[in-house]
Amino acid sequence: MASLSDSAGAGGGRAGAELMVPQFLLKALHAILAVRSPRPHAPPAPAASASAFRRRDRWFHLPIHAPPPPPAAEHLPDPSPGEPLVVDVYLAPSGGGPEEVLERWTVACEPWPSPAAAAAVGEGLAVNRAYKRCITLLRSLYAALRFLPAYRAFRRLCASGQVYNYCMGHRVGSFAAPFSRAEEAAMRTKRLAPVETQLGRLVVSVQYLPSLAAFNFEVTSLASAAIITDYVGSPAAEPMRAFPPSLTEATGSPFPQPSRRPNSWASPAPWPHTLGQPAKFSPPPAHYASPTPSPPTFGYLHSRFSGETAPMTIPQAGGGRGTVHHRNMSEPSRAFMFPPPSPKNVRGEAGMQESPTEINRSFKRADGIRMGDLYSNLPSGSKIKDTKDESGRFSGVFSSSGSPRHGFSRSSSRLSMQDDTDDADFPFAVDDVYPDSRPGSSSGKDTGDQAGSSSHKSQDAAVGYLVHLLKSARPLRDSTYSSHTSRGESTEAGSTSSFLSRRTSDALEEFESFKETRENLLARSRSRLQDSLDKP
Amino acid sequence: MNCETCQLKELELELTEIRDVLRCILHTIFFHRTLSLVRPKDVDCDFLDITYVQCGLPELEKEVDEKIDQFSAWVEKHPNRRSQICLSFFDEKHRHPGWFVNKTERIYWEQWFINLQVMFPKRYSKSNSSKGLTNIQANAVEETSTRRAALEASINEVLFQIIKFANEKKDHIPAIPDRIFNHEIMIPSSDSVFGWNTDVIRRVLNSGHPYSL
Repeated sequence: MASLSDSAGAGGGRAGAELMVPQFLLKALHAILAVRSPRPHAPPAPAASASAFRRRDRWFHLPIHAPPPPPAAEHLPDPSPGEPLVVDVYLAPSGGGPEEVLERWTVACEPWPSPAAAAAVGEGLAVNRAYKRCITLLRSLYAALRFLPAYRAFRRLCASGQVYNYCMGHRVGSFAAPFSRAEEAAMRTKRLAPVETQLGRLVVSVQYLPSLAAFNFEVTSLASAAIITDYVGSPAAEPMRAFPPSLTEATGSPFPQPSRRPNSWASPAPWPHTLGQPAKFSPPPAHYASPTPSPPTFGYLHSRFSGETAPMTIPQAGGGRGTVHHRNMSEPSRAFMFPPPSPKNVRGEAGMQESPTEINRSFKRADGIRMGDLYSNLPSGSKIKDTKDESGRFSGVFSSSGSPRHGFSRSSSRLSMQDDTDDADFPFAVDDVYPDSRPGSSSGKDTGDQAGSSSHKSQDAAVGYLVHLLKSARPLRDSTYSSHTSRGESTEAGSTSSFLSRRTSDALEEFESFKETRENLLARSRSRLQDSLDKP
Repeated sequence: MNCETCQLKELELELTEIRDVLRCILHTIFFHRTLSLVRPKDVDCDFLDITYVQCGLPELEKEVDEKIDQFSAWVEKHPNRRSQICLSFFDEKHRHPGWFVNKTERIYWEQWFINLQVMFPKRYSKSNSSKGLTNIQANAVEETSTRRAALEASINEVLFQIIKFANEKKDHIPAIPDRIFNHEIMIPSSDSVFGWNTDVIRRVLNSGHPYSL
């Protein structure tokens, strides 16, 4: 509409009309065929919104969608704007016979009689006005198609499941054979008011039969006959149709099954049958051919399985399980062997190895839990590493007898930390040594091992905690160390000296500030005295 | 802008046929005077063998049905009387008579007058004879069938009258809006002696357009 309204001028108007008139003819054709071409009613499509219509459907603001044009309408050539569009709608007997025209629709753009007339009339025409009038004209055509008697015939012939003695058809062209006088007299004519366009006057007219009483619509007898035949035949046909297949199945079904069963039985022992009864050997090829791959494979597997597994069932199964068990035990057994080598040497029994394995597993689980606890307690992993390092150093120092002297000889901060650690962890070392000193009784050893492991973990935690404390107290250590080196006092004396040194420094600062204040005061008093002496 | 008026042929019908007839006529007029995009919908009458087209606007259908209900109620109170329903299309103009006064004026550009005469069916007296009763019933059925056939023919004439008028009178139609034109369906009211609402008469007189009854 916007495009048409934009081209409201003379030249633009003609161009708009050249575009509009063919579209009107096409739309009119589709509107006629939509309700004059009987076909089975398709399920109604869901109501589409206005925006869902195609651009072509929006011409003249009237989509032809309920019902839509028949599929054949899409294959018809587009009407030519210079030629009239003539659509004949006729009824013909279903079995063949003469066609009787019910309606003749004529949609044409009648050109102006002369160029002068066209110029005179066309100059004042705006394409948008003509378009608006075409909207009403097309709506009138759309409505009239439903008011005319042929529509009732169309609806009746569209009824599903019914075959009538008449069929409705149509012919589309630019001309049609004229009616005879009798036909002309029987028909009426309705002519809609034309719409003037740049190209000419757009006219819609229809000649129609006012009454269809002459056509006696009936359901064809052929259809009813067919129905009767089916009805009579249906109860009789069912057993007739079902009997042969059942017989065939009854005769056929037992035949393949027995043949298959012997194959399955024959496959495990083919040689005895062939040797004992040579007459059966001739049928076997036919039966043997179809299941050729299965018998030897099955026999081979069966014989192999029976031959090999029969005497070796327990050993293989046990061996497999033993292997798995061994593999599972290898790592834990190895891990378990390192800590307690002496108990194994003393025991030397295979039966007792299982219980240590279980203990080791539970021990590992406990270790995991404790390690998780440690990780949650400690803020970072580096501290854990430090803990390990400390434990390593501790073990190294403990192993050597001269460790205290060596420690004292060093003067680095690490050595001092190590010394402190040794002093703090000294009581736990005794606990570690204690379980090793009791290798006599097994129960005592078990209890000792558990206690030792728990004490070891608690020692680690304590060591970590102490290391954390010591690290956080570095400034105190530095001051203590310096005071210690300078004065040569004990740790307690060092801490006291640091406190005293801080107090002395503060006192000195205060003393100096007092001195400055005193000097300032004296200077001021002196200046005042001089001023007073000078004045008198 | 001149107000075009169309007097439709008078129809004689019964109370049960009012809804079908008015729906058919009103929606056919609306279909021709709604120039914006529509989704046409074919509708079959309940009691008549007629199919008409609606614009596919639920709000419009509801409005029409409400007016028909009001008209039916009026007819029941005023039996066997001629009645007239007026469908008017108008354009609104805003005027400023004074500094602080805003007035909206309706400019009617088209009016359709639907003329109806609602007849109530005759009641047949009871007969003692069964044959007589059967004959009476048969006659009644035949009479109803004949009357309805005649009514359908009359309605068909009215529908084509609408088509003719709608196509002959087009110059007075305003520019196409993006919706249905402003309209008003006026029905007789109970307080009107002549079957018209005084407000309607006042509006028509104020519009300054000729009003033909």
